[in-house]
Amino acid sequence: MCNGLAVNWRAFFYVYKTRIQKTLAYRFDVYGNIIWQCIVMFATAYFWKALYTGYDTVKGVQVEDMMTYTIVSSMMSLFFITFVEQRVIQSVEKGTVATDMLKPIPLFGIYFFEDLGYTTSLIVQNVIPIFIIGSIFIGVPVPHSTFMLLLFIPSVIMAYMINWLFAACFSTWAFTAINMNPMVQVKKHLIRLLSGCIIPMWFFPEWLSDILNVLPFVYIYQLPLDIYIGKYEMGILLQKMGIQALWLLVLWCLFVYLQKRVTKHVLVQGG
Amino acid sequence: MLWEKYKSTMKITVNEKCSSAYRKSDHMIQVKNLKKNYVIAKKEKGLGGAIKSLVKSEKQTIEAVKDISFQIAKGEIVAFLGPNGAGKSTTVKMMSGILTPTSGKIFINGKEPYQNRKEVVKDLGVVFGQRTQLNWDLRLGESFELLRHVYQIDKETYEQNLQVMDNILGISEIIDIPVRQLSLGQRMRGDLVAAMLHSPSVLFLDEPTIGLDVDGKYAIRKFIKEINRVKGTTVILTTHDLGDVQELCKRLIIINHGTIIEDGPLEELVERIAPYKDLVVEFYDEEAVEHPKAQLHKQKGNVAKYRFQKADITAAQLIQEISEKKSIKDVAIEEVTIDDIIRIAYHRE
Repeated sequence: MCNGLAVNWRAFFYVYKTRIQKTLAYRFDVYGNIIWQCIVMFATAYFWKALYTGYDTVKGVQVEDMMTYTIVSSMMSLFFITFVEQRVIQSVEKGTVATDMLKPIPLFGIYFFEDLGYTTSLIVQNVIPIFIIGSIFIGVPVPHSTFMLLLFIPSVIMAYMINWLFAACFSTWAFTAINMNPMVQVKKHLIRLLSGCIIPMWFFPEWLSDILNVLPFVYIYQLPLDIYIGKYEMGILLQKMGIQALWLLVLWCLFVYLQKRVTKHVLVQGG
Repeated sequence: MLWEKYKSTMKITVNEKCSSAYRKSDHMIQVKNLKKNYVIAKKEKGLGGAIKSLVKSEKQTIEAVKDISFQIAKGEIVAFLGPNGAGKSTTVKMMSGILTPTSGKIFINGKEPYQNRKEVVKDLGVVFGQRTQLNWDLRLGESFELLRHVYQIDKETYEQNLQVMDNILGISEIIDIPVRQLSLGQRMRGDLVAAMLHSPSVLFLDEPTIGLDVDGKYAIRKFIKEINRVKGTTVILTTHDLGDVQELCKRLIIINHGTIIEDGPLEELVERIAPYKDLVVEFYDEEAVEHPKAQLHKQKGNVAKYRFQKADITAAQLIQEISEKKSIKDVAIEEVTIDDIIRIAYHRE
């Protein structure tokens, strides 16, 4: 990302700041997000409650933990919203990628800090309200222990980065494929399904969860959630965090390679 | 007559500027054998063709820029002219590091833009008339503020630059308005300021006056002239508005079908393509007189049109000599318009 030039943090910080300003100015999509995520959260919660009738624990997980899982997963879904694909698709379509490239800072650096700004405002506008609504109507999502909560935070940050880098790598496709919107939807829902966001890994058939454990997706939702509810022993969790860090590194390298390749082959449409 | 007067003043500035610009050996911009090919999917006609292209698409190579070489000295204002699709914008985009050339070299201040884009764009200001670099959702001032951070301009220089440009463009009236609410003319002024905030030594303008009203165009041209005079900024502009060329450019480069077909002062081009003028004479009857140095070009009723070579005879002398032979009711001198000249240049192969 640096290409021999010192990173211009002030510019990135300004991008971050203006993005927060912008998001706070548009109230409407804020309520839209909350309503949509509430529907998903309540539906999932009652679905699990219905399945748990007559059982105290399923696969070693209590119904209370399952409720916690649902609420935290809902909060994370909002936290993980990325715009980088839309941003790239639009700027390639409208040709504004040309003006983005005229600035002496990395193209994807701008996109990352815009997304980070959006996430920051979402924490205030969506994540916290969802936490409060979930706590009142379903139950307070208590972490397994204070230590687990401390472990949860770095794991979520790494998960955020994996999710963003994955989206960024995916978005480089927009430079060559003309209409990418349907693929973005497919990717979004595939991640939600394969990452344990809606259905935890332990409900999947063993062979499938074995495969998924090798792929990066489970390190976006499943691992931080496992840590939060204390599903596994400390040793296993730390080992999994190691794999998470490894995936982060792999995706970073892939991203650096792809963005370099793609900016060399920009095709500005029209004009 | 106004045109005559204009041209005579123009001639002086042309000669002055050209000689001073060409005297310097260091070139701000050097372009050598530049080529750019686009590979596009060939579309076939009709539904059948659409289905066929889903399965197998045929590729087609288009040579947008074939072989272009030129040099531009520091402080020059150069116009890129050419019909739509001639390769002007592609050339500008390659010079600003957005597109990578298929082959050939570009040096801006000694550096190649597609090799170290971030390094080169620091010293570059670019305005695309058809799209804005301003942030649609923010106040104009906030877009400027963002650029201040992006280009790491210190507060003092920034305020000073803004002040200078405010004097020419009156930007302070609109600085607090969100960009989406600006009129096209105001937005273009904003874009120009945005491109010049970091005092680049090269300014690329891609159709800067497109769609603007008379006042808007005037403001933009005045700005370009001032910036060039005060800061010595090298300006390259592509345009379809020949008013821009007449007012601003000492030199023009005409591109057509991806190659340069003309490169030189406007004056020279006019002399070469249209070394003649037309004299329209109205007599009292339908009988026109002949003159050895003027060709009777057209005649309709008692109006005759003579075409004469500027080198052979002056208009005043011709009028005098014709009036000596026969009494004249009225005369008018017709100059080939610059539009005509450019049109002739485009179509001449």
